Amino acid sequence: MDHQSYQAGSDDARLDTIFQAYRAACPDFEPSPEFMPHLWQRIEARQGMSMVFGRWARNVATAALALSMLLGLAVTITGSHGAQLPTESYVEVLAEEHNTANLDFEPVHLSAADPR
Amino acid sequence: MLVDYELIRRAREGDAAAFNQLVAAYRKRILGTIARTIGRPEDVEDVGQEVFLRLYYSLDQLRSAEVFEPWLYRLTANAAYDYLRKRRRRMESRMADLSEQQVLLADAVAGEKIDRDEGQKKRIREAVDALLDRVSEEDRVLLTLKEVEGLSLKELGEIYHVKENALKVRLFRARQRVLKAFTASRKQAPVGSLR
Repeated sequence: MDHQSYQAGSDDARLDTIFQAYRAACPDFEPSPEFMPHLWQRIEARQGMSMVFGRWARNVATAALALSMLLGLAVTITGSHGAQLPTESYVEVLAEEHNTANLDFEPVHLSAADPR
Repeated sequence: MLVDYELIRRAREGDAAAFNQLVAAYRKRILGTIARTIGRPEDVEDVGQEVFLRLYYSLDQLRSAEVFEPWLYRLTANAAYDYLRKRRRRMESRMADLSEQQVLLADAVAGEKIDRDEGQKKRIREAVDALLDRVSEEDRVLLTLKEVEGLSLKELGEIYHVKENALKVRLFRARQRVLKAFTASRKQAPVGSLR
């Protein structure tokens, strides 16, 4: 066995001894009489939090459902009155409004005396 | 198994009395594991309650009663890991180097040169705790479960959901890192003064 592997084996053995000594030095842990009551307090506290969050989530879901139903109703009513929804895109409307073919250009007269 | 499958099944269905029995059966073992993993007696009950709290809220996800123990150990390892990570964050930087006295003590323990009375046991715990604080939380939890708790590779494989070969590699590397920290500390301290 060369020196390095002997050293590694020796270090490993030392580490094992340290862990064994640690295990022997740690006493068994005795839970206090308050362990179970505190555990149930924590369980109930989290249940309370989940209930509050659950109630809040249910309220939000109900409100969202009511709002979407209202919007659906509004769209239906508007549609039944024959309101025309635009069929053109925004770009098409802009192009229509700035149609250069409809613009009246006036002729520009330039003279030699004109400083421009 | 410390309890029968029927008790686990009843606890899973929300029977509070069955859950109480389950906790009563395992709490001493789990608290002992936590104590040896985190090395802070004052926080053991808090972490233990966190384990059983997580157990209570995740019992319905347990596939079968047969895997209960590895699963409880997994919850324990996770809770210990979370605690250690928070503790490290609370400290301003990584744990300071081992004190000279702790290095000397760890060295003496390794050489089996000391009698272990209560005061000495306390100092051994502090020295090993300080040594393990110098490696990552993952290494610390894994090494404690294997080297201190004495869990087998098969049991660790069930807890970590990894193959035994992968575990061997992880354990080997974790041991190397602890050894490196130990050796570095010994080089910094004049070890010869104890001998």
